[in-house]
Amino acid sequence: MSPPILEIDGLHLGYATRTGTAAALRDVHLSVDAGESVGIVGESGCGKSTLLKAVMGVMPPNAAIEKGAIRFQDIDLVTADPVVWRRARWSGIAMIAQSALNALNPVMRVSAQIAEAILAHENWPRDKVRARIRELFEMVGVDSSRIDDFPHQFSGGMRQRVLIAMALALRPPVLLADEPTTALDVIVQDQIFRRLNQLQEELGFAMLLVTHDLGLVIENCERIVVMYGGMIVEAGPTAQVIAAPAHPYTLGLYNALPRLGAAVEPISIPGRPPDLERPPAGCRFADRCPFAQARCRTDPPMRDIAPGHWARCHRTDEMEALRPAALDPDTWERAADTATTTDPDIIKRI
Amino acid sequence: MGRYILRRFFHMAITLFAMITLMFFLFRLLPGDPTATVISPALDAEAREAMRARFGLDRPLIEQYLVYLVNLAQFDFGLSFRTSRPVWEQIELRLVNTLLLILPSMIAAYMIGAFGGALLAWYRGGRVEGNVVLAATALQSAPVFWLGMLAILVFSIWLNWFPTGHIVTPGRFPDPSWRMYLTLDFLHHLALPFFVNTLYNLCFPLLLMRSTMLSTIGEDYVELARMKGLRESRVLYRHAMRNSLLPLATTMPMILGWSVAGSVVIETVFSWPGLGLLMIEGITRSDYPVVQAAFLLIAVLTILGTFVADLLYGLLDPRIVYR
Repeated sequence: MSPPILEIDGLHLGYATRTGTAAALRDVHLSVDAGESVGIVGESGCGKSTLLKAVMGVMPPNAAIEKGAIRFQDIDLVTADPVVWRRARWSGIAMIAQSALNALNPVMRVSAQIAEAILAHENWPRDKVRARIRELFEMVGVDSSRIDDFPHQFSGGMRQRVLIAMALALRPPVLLADEPTTALDVIVQDQIFRRLNQLQEELGFAMLLVTHDLGLVIENCERIVVMYGGMIVEAGPTAQVIAAPAHPYTLGLYNALPRLGAAVEPISIPGRPPDLERPPAGCRFADRCPFAQARCRTDPPMRDIAPGHWARCHRTDEMEALRPAALDPDTWERAADTATTTDPDIIKRI
Repeated sequence: MGRYILRRFFHMAITLFAMITLMFFLFRLLPGDPTATVISPALDAEAREAMRARFGLDRPLIEQYLVYLVNLAQFDFGLSFRTSRPVWEQIELRLVNTLLLILPSMIAAYMIGAFGGALLAWYRGGRVEGNVVLAATALQSAPVFWLGMLAILVFSIWLNWFPTGHIVTPGRFPDPSWRMYLTLDFLHHLALPFFVNTLYNLCFPLLLMRSTMLSTIGEDYVELARMKGLRESRVLYRHAMRNSLLPLATTMPMILGWSVAGSVVIETVFSWPGLGLLMIEGITRSDYPVVQAAFLLIAVLTILGTFVADLLYGLLDPRIVYR
């Protein structure tokens, strides 16, 4: 087997705040093989966007990589010269930005914005650059006569296509996508993903898709990575993880997914994500977990469930028995009550 | 675009007309008989009447106003009460003097302000930033005449680097002409007022640019520009700074108007024979035609500046289309 094209190895990242350091990423291990699609899911603030920014090397000034490596084609970008990392951006790892509405510079023609990305890495003559931009527009399904328009002249869906065209400009082997369709309606979202999947088949790039929409990952990604509170809690082949989730948080996420025509109502996970400046001891999900025990206050192990499928939980062995209880909304409500209540009287009543 | 410019010219004409009318009647309301300063009180009433008739001051106000309008339309600003010569003769060189001081110093202030403010925001959080912001706020709050006097004290009196005032060494050009602008002596005299005026006008664009930049830096397109692997300098200038220029462009005509009007202060401190000093002279001598013409020119400069800024805004921001 060839080595993964992108490998994140034990990454720790912290944000310096007024009151201390927020542990935004802790011990993140993730590898992406050439041509495959990996989906990262988790709720807001779980660190999934931070992870992508870290891979691109565009963290805000108060963020620092404390430990770990980000290897692209076997070069560790974290310890490499900043110029190496800059050159790897876009030509090696490109990104489809999150917000199509704000990701394009409003005062530059889109052709100029794509051209500058190309010219930052290649020494092409003007004609070749423009021919490439036209070709990219055709690829993503936008009329190539519009390359010299300004961003405000495009609709939201078209702008997202332009961003995809921009990302593909240098045929990067890895494409990151951060919630690429959240601002768009479902029909446009579907069109864009269909086009992306076609392009992936044609061009063979690997895709790392970050989203809070589990459904999108199930439809589009071969592998799934579940993040919670700055850590990866479960990772594995999508079909297998969905069929047999090994972490209570994955169970909860799956339960929260609305299903068409199903009798069961979506169940939400009560409570809030942990405070990353003062994370709870042990498992970061324990406060909201209906199956938490005393030992969950110690760091959970990374356990292999099946080849390529692992989870970070003390009770992975018992998951089979716990899964039916997870389908009952009351199970989750009780966990939230005991976790968030400090008044001893209320606890006694329960 | 053509129709927009045409409409703007129409609006500008209306604004100007209102300005002219307002100023004409305001000046007639001023107390004091202008002839009193020109003609010796010892002169008899008959001679005074002849004088009043010569300047047309004996006619009804409305007639005076109409005559004024007709003359203005022919770029005739009337006769100075003091010299009995056309006002324009006095104003011409004065206007040039003021513009030679104000325009370069405004351009310098905006250039330094834009780049300085952008860099302050880009390298945020350092000691330099804090000190510069403090200094700019303090400078902006200081009265410009005080700054001017301080500069004269330090650079002219203590260090003796620059003359204390005037546009050229007095007596060198007994008859002011265009040739005097081509001398090093002129630049030597220009340096200090230019420096003080630039320093004073620099603070506003600097602080504005810094705060605009701070919000622009957080924009997604700036992050995307960095992700594209562009050099930091390109991200700074082409993306962050380019987008932060818009508010700066809108304030420019306003500041230009203030600056020309405010030239009264700086010109008085440096005895700079410009429009501002002429206004002061005109007011103390009740020479209304001169003062009125000076006010009118300031109004015209402000109106034109606003128009240019509007056009500039359309050039800077493609989202703005003038119809």
